[in-house]
Amino acid sequence: MSATTSNGKALTTKTTFSRETAVSIAIQADASIIWSLLTNANDFPRWNSTVVSIGGNIALGETIQLISTLDPKRTFKLKVKEFEADKKLVWGDAMGNRVYTLSKNDQGHTVFSMTEKIGGLMFPLFSGFIPPFDASFEQFAADLKKEAESIMKAN
Amino acid sequence: MTSAHLNTEFEQIRGQLKSFVLRITACVADAEDIVQDTYLKAAEKIESFRGDSSLKTWLFAIASNLAKDNLRAKKRWTEDVTDICKTAAMSNQQFFQEAMQIRSISPQGDFEIKEHIAFCFTCIAKSLPLEQQICLLLKEVYDFKVSEIVQIIDNTEAMVKYYLHTGRAKMINIFEGRCALINKEGTCHQCSELNGIFNPKQKFQEEAVKIELVREAEKTDKERLFDLRMQILRGIDPFESGAAELQLHHLEHNRKVMESFLKKNEV
Repeated sequence: MSATTSNGKALTTKTTFSRETAVSIAIQADASIIWSLLTNANDFPRWNSTVVSIGGNIALGETIQLISTLDPKRTFKLKVKEFEADKKLVWGDAMGNRVYTLSKNDQGHTVFSMTEKIGGLMFPLFSGFIPPFDASFEQFAADLKKEAESIMKAN
Repeated sequence: MTSAHLNTEFEQIRGQLKSFVLRITACVADAEDIVQDTYLKAAEKIESFRGDSSLKTWLFAIASNLAKDNLRAKKRWTEDVTDICKTAAMSNQQFFQEAMQIRSISPQGDFEIKEHIAFCFTCIAKSLPLEQQICLLLKEVYDFKVSEIVQIIDNTEAMVKYYLHTGRAKMINIFEGRCALINKEGTCHQCSELNGIFNPKQKFQEEAVKIELVREAEKTDKERLFDLRMQILRGIDPFESGAAELQLHHLEHNRKVMESFLKKNEV
């Protein structure tokens, strides 16, 4: 599944064994700026209000420690599984993956898309304990757009 | 472009180049070596200089590249550098003896709060990633435009803007949290502590409010306070000011402390 429009609205689809949330937003900034924001771990809390902290290096094969405002008492240990500069970043664990992609739209803007799919055979047992991601995804996308565009506009 | 042009321009900006490299390496000897090497490299390549940028921009690009290869420039310090170095200084009697001697006999041995503000920025800016530190210095202290910085560091305009924005934001946050001159809750009081040691007859508050950064602290926003801090840096040549010898002695001390600290804490 992927968000069909780049309007910053999150979309969640559920099945018995999985749940997937996606958001997409057009940003008037170079992909390199967005990529730098997405891959600079210790700078995240400054601009991203959904992240408490990210420890470690966001680089291929590295493990990062993510604390999200969705569950600030918990530290997620996530492995960076794909890292294609200015294009695609994937991190995740056994439960699921978070995929970030950057592409260009017809207006020449950068389209940022973020998808997270969690699931598996045990998913029905714990799905009730996982909070919805929609609001957090929309905030993430809005924060990224605001920060990247303010950098782009700076002299 | 001739060697004569180069020599004239180089002499005009030598001081700026030297302070720029000092602020990156935090080492007097390395700054002098790199500036000398910049001249040699420029002299060797002057025939191929096509004038795509100004000569000054070209010279800063050479110096910047040489500085980026310098091991001391590559060493990144930590945000709490002033705490670490203060602890080390407190147990180092020789440091204070030397400093007091400089204070009493050197014509460049004054202790001035403004000079210490500039010194403090140099130390803390070494906690930024190197590219961010270089871009921030070029823009905020040496007044280069974004388009010129693009040429100096040979990167895209987008990345230069990213480095500038992020570096500035980080420095503002660090000073907001630490600097007692602009924030009553700030944890760092080194300006007043050192002023008490080196200028015991002076009333710190009376001296401090002569500085616009301090006067404006309660009534202006942190972006403007950062601009005022940068204004102080632009007005100070760390090699030529009335406090140069005292501050350079302090900088050498901090560099040695941080090199030893980083070595001990190597992963």
